[in-house]
Amino acid sequence: MAGRPVVGVCLKWVDLRPDVDRLTGAVHRDERFHGASEADQAALEWALRMAEAWDGEVVAVSAGPPAAEALLRDCLATGVHRAVRVDLAPGAPSETVASVLADVLRDAAVVCCGDWSLDRGSGAVPAFLAGELGAAQALGLVRLEVGQPGSLVVTRRLDFGRRERLGVRTPAVLSVEGASATLRRASLAAVLAARDAVVEVAGGRPAAQHRLRPVHVRPYRPRPQARPGPDPALDPRLRLLQLTGAAVERTPPRTVVTDDADEAAELLLEQLRAWGYLT
Amino acid sequence: MPEATTPTVAPSRPSLATAGRPRDAVVDAPATPDFDLVVVGAGPAGAAAALVAARAGLRVCLLERGPFPGAKNMYGGVIYARILDDLIPNWWDEAPVQRWVTRRATVVLTESQALTIDFRSSAWGEPPYNGATAFRPDFDAWLAGKAEAAGATVVTSTTATGLLRDGAGHICGVRTDRPDGDLTARLVVACDGVNSFLAKQAGLYHHEDPKHFTLGAKEVLALPRDEVEKRFVLSGREGADFEIIGGTRGIPGGGFIYTNLDSIAIGVVLGLDGLRKAKVRPEELIADLKRHPMIAPLVDGAQLQEYSAHLIPEAGLEMMPELSTDGMLVAGDAAAMCLAAGIWLEGVNFAIGSGIAAGETAVEAVRRGDVSDHGLAGYRRRLESNFVLRDHTKLRRAPSLVMSERVQQRYPQLTCDLVEALFTVTNPEPKQGAFRAARHHAKRSGVRLRDLARDGWTALRTYG
Ligand SMILES: Cc1cc2nc3c(=O)[nH]c(=O)nc-3n(C[C@H](O)[C@H](O)[C@H](O)COP(=O)(O)OP(=O)(O)OC[C@H]3O[C@@H](n4cnc5c(N)ncnc54)[C@H](O)[C@@H]3O)c2cc1C
Repeated sequence: MAGRPVVGVCLKWVDLRPDVDRLTGAVHRDERFHGASEADQAALEWALRMAEAWDGEVVAVSAGPPAAEALLRDCLATGVHRAVRVDLAPGAPSETVASVLADVLRDAAVVCCGDWSLDRGSGAVPAFLAGELGAAQALGLVRLEVGQPGSLVVTRRLDFGRRERLGVRTPAVLSVEGASATLRRASLAAVLAARDAVVEVAGGRPAAQHRLRPVHVRPYRPRPQARPGPDPALDPRLRLLQLTGAAVERTPPRTVVTDDADEAAELLLEQLRAWGYLT
Repeated sequence: MPEATTPTVAPSRPSLATAGRPRDAVVDAPATPDFDLVVVGAGPAGAAAALVAARAGLRVCLLERGPFPGAKNMYGGVIYARILDDLIPNWWDEAPVQRWVTRRATVVLTESQALTIDFRSSAWGEPPYNGATAFRPDFDAWLAGKAEAAGATVVTSTTATGLLRDGAGHICGVRTDRPDGDLTARLVVACDGVNSFLAKQAGLYHHEDPKHFTLGAKEVLALPRDEVEKRFVLSGREGADFEIIGGTRGIPGGGFIYTNLDSIAIGVVLGLDGLRKAKVRPEELIADLKRHPMIAPLVDGAQLQEYSAHLIPEAGLEMMPELSTDGMLVAGDAAAMCLAAGIWLEGVNFAIGSGIAAGETAVEAVRRGDVSDHGLAGYRRRLESNFVLRDHTKLRRAPSLVMSERVQQRYPQLTCDLVEALFTVTNPEPKQGAFRAARHHAKRSGVRLRDLARDGWTALRTYG
């Protein structure tokens, strides 16, 4: 297939429904719920569209454990031409991940990535990857317009709701938001064929001496929110109860569904209006 | 195994669901279909059917809409898995079980009283065991894994959206929600659960009545393992199963509590009609249960982990559809085979039992090359000769008895009041005789002794 442009796509095998202990913050992962985030799925869809427009081929890469091959088989079913898993232990720093991905994607005209991994990664892999490949980078995209081979116009989200349109020339690394595209559904025949398709495995190279080295990464903590304090006039016990919300009888929001469909629909609309969804 | 021959569909009685129904797709059935057997739904029924057929050498596709078998499945929590003894010898060594039920209690609740018949058996804590609590995503995935290991092709995240029929109107596969998603097969086994869309589309259900269904809703509450054991007086892998009569504000149904390793499942089962009329939400009734003085100490401080709800086909034989048609069998909840008979709520074992029978019938029919309704008659025969239809036939009066107004609304109060009267010491008054007390309390709760005797007789005939 020499001569056909290669479009790479990088996907991370993550838990889509991690179970977080609300008290300790401990995360319990379940491999059965692993897959690609919406952003990675959108990246795959854009890669497929680009390859179709440019008569190119798509190479999907995932750096992760053997179980990640299930994700790569799903990619093959959607129309990816080659799938490569790079054997890499979880938790490797972004720069290491980028360098092993780059080993597989040296020939790529464009590499598409999701903008963030669901497991609260740093979102830095696409930038490191562009650095490794010596490619242009356009990150946090909400829209892509695929033009002639080698040229793209992309729309990037900026702060405060602004947008920026950029002309991009290959080679380039793009990262896209999840809502930018919906991944096509693989055909049944392709799903069946992908079960026996070959997923190549590349060994990750030994960790290079990176110039940046995370010394310590603090766990994610949501920002504290300002909340009204308890009434200072109350005695300490009542203040404590107010603060913790303990011993408060909670009634779930109550909506009694009626027999009458029209009446039920009206109730729903009324509630949506009250919440400000319908103006 | 002999090569499967292309089935000739012998003419049988006219198919109830004819080609041309809105969602039926008419296709040219290929001489060699994609699979010998397509099983829709990788719940216990589907996994068992696929396992039996794949082991016999059929080319089997097990289709599941969830991302993995069991991902979307919920139930109360106890599996009676002895039906697996032959299929998976020593299944207990490998099945993903939470606890072995060694304590089984039947609880009669009123607002402020509780009467418990509490039974324990250490024999149930040893092989071959009796009941086990298990999480369905674990159990169903394990059973479907057995089918896959036997050679079945498991296709997940794919929903069957309709039936395929050949020019003669016989079912010859399913249409799925994927592009180019038609899957042809010599035979389809519909194991798509309660409210089976495929069985309905095939015209196998003749009358549908919301009264035939109950809604099960449950909460899984996290509790440290030693706390579960302390509160339910268990040790090691022992587990408890509490079935509750009453406590649903008079809505026909009941409740349950089951223990997992480090969580408990508490829930209610509610007649749809009663629930609709009462205009309460199921979670309010679970909250009632959790507040009940007998139950509150068991759940105190436990953290809500999961809430789920699902329909149960409750009416047994009364609602059962036809079990086969040209090119298709129906098994498990799709065929309303769940046994809901008051003190027993057994669906998983009935699903596996009917799935095994469907798998065996499929092997026989495909090998013989006759997948017509007539050629599939062995399915009903198998079910009639094992526990599935025998228990349903024996207990056919149970659903209406259990859901009757007296059993649901009057007897719990009567029983508890009577027991309270018997054990309340009112000295200097002398003790009241039991019969007098029974008459007095029956009258007070509006139960005529004649009805009590009649219901007692029905119960004896049903359960005896
Ligand atoms: C609240 C509650 C408590 C219960 N408690 C117990 C209990 O303690 N013990 C017990 O033995 N039984 C219990 N049951 C009953 C038991 O859960 C069922 O009888 C049993 O699960 C039936 O198994 P099945 O394989 O027939 O159907 P299901 O378990 O419902 O499996 C159907 C499968 O088909 C899939 N499916 C459906 N439609 C499609 C489609 N169109 N395409 C592809 N896939 C599809 C579903 O995703 C699912 O995996 C309870 C049920 C409920 C609701």
